[in-house]
Amino acid sequence: MLADFNFRIIFEYMPLFLNGLKSTFLISIISIILALMTGIVACSCRISGIKIIKYPAIAYIEIMRSTPLLVQIYFLYFGLPTLGLRIPEIQTGILALMLNSGAYIAEIIRAGISSVDEGQIEAGVASGLNYVQRMRFIILPQALGVTVPPLLGQAIVLVKDSALLSLISVAELTRSGQTMTSERLMPAEAFFTVAFFYICIYLCLKTFSDWSQKKLIYREAY
Amino acid sequence: MIQFKNVNKWFGKLHVLNDINLEIKKGEVLVVCGPSGSGKSTLIRCINRLEKIQEGEIIVNKNPVHKRSSNLTKLRAQIGFVFQQFHLYPHMTSLQNIMLAPVNVKNIPKSNAEKIAIEKLEQVGLSDKSDSYPAQLSGGQQQRVAIARGLAMSPEIMLFDEPTSALDPEMIGEVLDVMVNLASEGMTMCVVTHEMGFAKKVADRVLFMDEGKIIETGKPDEFFDNPKTERAADFISKILTH
Repeated sequence: MLADFNFRIIFEYMPLFLNGLKSTFLISIISIILALMTGIVACSCRISGIKIIKYPAIAYIEIMRSTPLLVQIYFLYFGLPTLGLRIPEIQTGILALMLNSGAYIAEIIRAGISSVDEGQIEAGVASGLNYVQRMRFIILPQALGVTVPPLLGQAIVLVKDSALLSLISVAELTRSGQTMTSERLMPAEAFFTVAFFYICIYLCLKTFSDWSQKKLIYREAY
Repeated sequence: MIQFKNVNKWFGKLHVLNDINLEIKKGEVLVVCGPSGSGKSTLIRCINRLEKIQEGEIIVNKNPVHKRSSNLTKLRAQIGFVFQQFHLYPHMTSLQNIMLAPVNVKNIPKSNAEKIAIEKLEQVGLSDKSDSYPAQLSGGQQQRVAIARGLAMSPEIMLFDEPTSALDPEMIGEVLDVMVNLASEGMTMCVVTHEMGFAKKVADRVLFMDEGKIIETGKPDEFFDNPKTERAADFISKILTH
């Protein structure tokens, strides 16, 4: 079986794969940064007491979490142009990943904030600190520690989800596997290579995650 | 200095504060006791509006606390609050815990705030623990840092909500000592506690609550030795038997 595995073809197609890897990498980075911003905004709206911004935020988060990412991608890619809004496929893909992950990130941040003990907030209130000061000095530093690991988990999910963009013909990593398969009919080699590169990205994020858990979480005890 | 006028408060259907009338004078040390659920914690939490009241008036230093328009930040800056569970910020050292409010609420420059913080740590006998994190301190030490944190705002009133109830017996003394010193310096204090020794030593007045009402007030010796009401006598006999 292994004798049938053609390593040479992998090297022949390496430029295509590296190109795909580069796209996946860039798309993921941009999407993660945008999703983080979206998540922070959505979470701030979600936990605010102002109804006009709270309820739209809840609606956004719930819609994103209750529909498949593929449906969201198809809606943006096929649906928006029929409504008169035409966006290139890469931007469409980034938009979909940003909106989808943004909703999950909003909930991750909210969980981190609500994990901080009520008494901490009371202590801040009692000493006269205002809302922004309590957030900045008391709540967020403590929430950060519990938020970073699931955030990096979400980043890993986003990288893997970006494979779905191949379905709207974005030339990313999975798409390069599809291209090679259709040209040479060698799906084993193609998707073995694709998987290998995803593992590489995963390991990079994982290393960063482990490092950050050591560095960023304040020490409960010594 | 603190005035309650016909104060009523409900948690849902539960009438936690039932027509409270009370005046606490400058420099007075008031001990509040009573069975659990009697509203004693709620009573002192209303003074800096950690709890809102539904009826009546609370006036602290001529500040109407019950009104929406009252300047809460300014009010709270004058009132130190010590919690049963300390609530120190776990990601900050003792010194940082104490400096946070003076620097950010009173806009005191950092170097001055640090001086004040060191001074207050000395006052509670913990000058060697300035760089320790709460998790490195014992319960008694944490509570003393929490008291120093309250004092750093140079408050006119200190409120204590069962400050020794979460402590091991051997650590209660060190916290009470700090509070006794504070009382002898003339601080206006309102303390929810069952520590009779403390009450007898420093309290000007003991207030006994049950089911949201003030049942009895009196001098500590009179109250503990000769309670006027049966409910108070019953309560005292229960905390004394063991």
